[in-house]
Amino acid sequence: MPAAAAIKVLVVDDQLTMRALIRSALQEIGIRDISDAPDGEEGFKTLLAAPAHLVISDYNMPKLDGLSFLRAVRAHEPTRKIAFIMLTGRADKELVQRAMQFGVNNYVTKPFSPAALRAKIEEVFGPLT
Amino acid sequence: MDSFEAIKQTYFQECDELLADLEQNLLMLEAGEGDGDTINAVFRAVHSVKGGAGAFGFEALVAFAHIFETTLDDMRSGKLDPEQDVIKIMLRASDVLVDHLQAAKGQGVVDEERAATMSRELEALVGGGSNEETAPLSGESGGDEWGFKPLMFEVDAPAPAAGLTLVMRPTATMYAKGHDAVLFLRELERIAHAEIELDASALPSLDALDPEASYLTWTVRWPADVDEKAIRDVFDFVGDDCPIELKRDAPAPPHQPAVDVAAMLANIRDAAGPPVVTEEEHEEKVASPAAPGGKIESKSGAAAATIRVDLERVDRMIDLVGELVINQAMLAQRVAESETGRSSSIAMGLDELEQLTREIQDSVMAIRAQPVKSVFQRMPRLVREIAGATGKQVRLVTEGENTEVDKTVIERLSDPITHMLRNAIDHGLETPEERSASGKSPEGVVRLAALHRSGRIVIEVSDDGKGINRPRVREIAVNKGLIQPDANLSDDEIDNLIFLPGFSTASAVSNISGRGVGMDVVKRSIQGLGGRISIASVPGKGSTFTLSLPLTLAVLDGMVISAGEQTLVAPLTAIVETLRPKPQDIRPIGPNAALLAVRGAHVPLIDVGVALGLRDTPIDATAGVVLLVEGEGGARAGVVADEIQGQRQVVIKSLEANYQRVGGIAAATILGDGRVALILDVDAIIASQRDRTEAKPIALAS
Repeated sequence: MPAAAAIKVLVVDDQLTMRALIRSALQEIGIRDISDAPDGEEGFKTLLAAPAHLVISDYNMPKLDGLSFLRAVRAHEPTRKIAFIMLTGRADKELVQRAMQFGVNNYVTKPFSPAALRAKIEEVFGPLT
Repeated sequence: MDSFEAIKQTYFQECDELLADLEQNLLMLEAGEGDGDTINAVFRAVHSVKGGAGAFGFEALVAFAHIFETTLDDMRSGKLDPEQDVIKIMLRASDVLVDHLQAAKGQGVVDEERAATMSRELEALVGGGSNEETAPLSGESGGDEWGFKPLMFEVDAPAPAAGLTLVMRPTATMYAKGHDAVLFLRELERIAHAEIELDASALPSLDALDPEASYLTWTVRWPADVDEKAIRDVFDFVGDDCPIELKRDAPAPPHQPAVDVAAMLANIRDAAGPPVVTEEEHEEKVASPAAPGGKIESKSGAAAATIRVDLERVDRMIDLVGELVINQAMLAQRVAESETGRSSSIAMGLDELEQLTREIQDSVMAIRAQPVKSVFQRMPRLVREIAGATGKQVRLVTEGENTEVDKTVIERLSDPITHMLRNAIDHGLETPEERSASGKSPEGVVRLAALHRSGRIVIEVSDDGKGINRPRVREIAVNKGLIQPDANLSDDEIDNLIFLPGFSTASAVSNISGRGVGMDVVKRSIQGLGGRISIASVPGKGSTFTLSLPLTLAVLDGMVISAGEQTLVAPLTAIVETLRPKPQDIRPIGPNAALLAVRGAHVPLIDVGVALGLRDTPIDATAGVVLLVEGEGGARAGVVADEIQGQRQVVIKSLEANYQRVGGIAAATILGDGRVALILDVDAIIASQRDRTEAKPIALAS
């Protein structure tokens, strides 16, 4: 049963608002170690410099979108096993299925409550303490 | 919840930027300049607005943004052509989106009918019926029917956080000095929980053991990030007596430059193919030939690092720097008055301080400088609305949006520009029928431009309409008793009549321009900013309004002069030259007025002391100095003062804010010696003199 406080999370979204919202939801869950990046490219560089346990990434972003970011993470040995949760703007079956092909761990549809986000994280990490 | 409220404010701020970009990008598409990236950016803007709106529960905003987004999605995937007519609808949709956002902020009401019509128009753009997936908006879960299964995190994954390993090899000297390795280990434990391992392999057998030698080595491991400095600090006072090696465990990506991130990402991007929507098709359609790899690099290179700062903090800093400038000037004056020589180290230090102060001031001013874009961006919507209300066809062309000017000036530019645009469309442009009849394109062009010219910002609003109807303007002015029926006025003078209070050319008060605000109000508000406005008009070809403003309202280069007991500052920009007149150049006209001959031209002499009511009779101009000044529209005068004290940059302090408005005075400042000096309003002084000497029935604007 992993402790929420021990999980290191990278939040990737091009919107300041969403980054702040996700951060505040994560803090409510009890996660303390949170960094963020404004797009997939920056997110990937951040991961290389400071690995995380979990990436929560938006899909629709400039430069490198969420799907390509996921592929980059999975294709590169040091980041390959990092858990990846994709945020989708609406229930988009095609996107979710493609993300699944590329090895996404879970997805969350916006908007979401902290409780919903927690449930999605727990589906990946097991119950959090 | 405080932080939630704070995030909401961030959201609103971000939305304002997103919507401004949205409009900008749509305008680019309308002009046929956009590419695939532009369409993507448009989509993303609406998408982002919607995403945040959902989180804060702005239902109406979400619903409208959703419809808008669906239409944009079709455009992005190439199902909908970005033709002009389509983009025009989207521009209006973006206006409605702005209304929704304002309503969400609690700053307005959405016109339900307009919003509903807009929604229908947008829906009509999406190919009828092919609109499959708009319904499932809700689902937090709902993944199962798509066969999605969450993937558990693999526990055997190597701990992603790079640990830290310390190898410590105490020397015999360290023990000899009385230090104990155990104490270090305890100290290290205290920094963070660590695994400690003893390496005793170097320990010889008992008979070979030197009791005073050191044989043991410890390896200390921390699983997660610990502060390297804290660890090194532990060994600070033993130094070389206890050598340590500190290293990050593998995988150690930070100092492993092996991966070429850009190249790798480019590969991934290439390989990733179409991201859900069929972007290949789409990219062909709007051809953006640059290779993805090169693009990433150029973009990341161009990204400028920015921070958001409260405006209040910047203003506080500007105030403080203003005080610093004054203080520095006071200090310099004290030193100059004291016994110390010019070359003393104090004086030299002060010179350097002065230079630094100037530089700080310039840098701080630069922080406040902003492109006029923020004002210009609001205008396309205004133009669309006025065009709609007047039934005229208008194309707005903007130029020089990146021209920078002080933020306070920007804020006050909005109203005059708005009014001048209204005027240009309402009064300047003809109806499409009239235009066609006179051989012009039915679509009128209104140009809004910003540029820097000799230390000022110039804003031009021009139209290609009918120009000023001079006989009509003259007739109105006569009817309203503004001029005598037999007045002999030049074309310029007639054009400038429209700046007179109470003048309005619209025969019926239209609800566009006729809001009780005339060009006189525009002119006055511009003058309040230290600006000027002028007009040039060609019948049948159109009119151009030009307004020029100082770049900043905080400092001014001035010439310090004295009149009687008073010290005054004349803005340097208004001074053409200074001179000591010869008696033969002065031609008295009447008891209290005189003209000065300067290079073949005659200018009125104005005693600044008399003009401001500091004394009753003018001094002899030959005993004082004359500042040849030029006011708005090129009117010149010779301002007579007792003497010139020097030239310096002064910090402007508003007289209105601290006292009240005084005729002939623009503002005040504090001089180096701590005295308050008044800054002259040169235009007002020229105008007051002209009224008195020439006894014209009206004060013309030029």
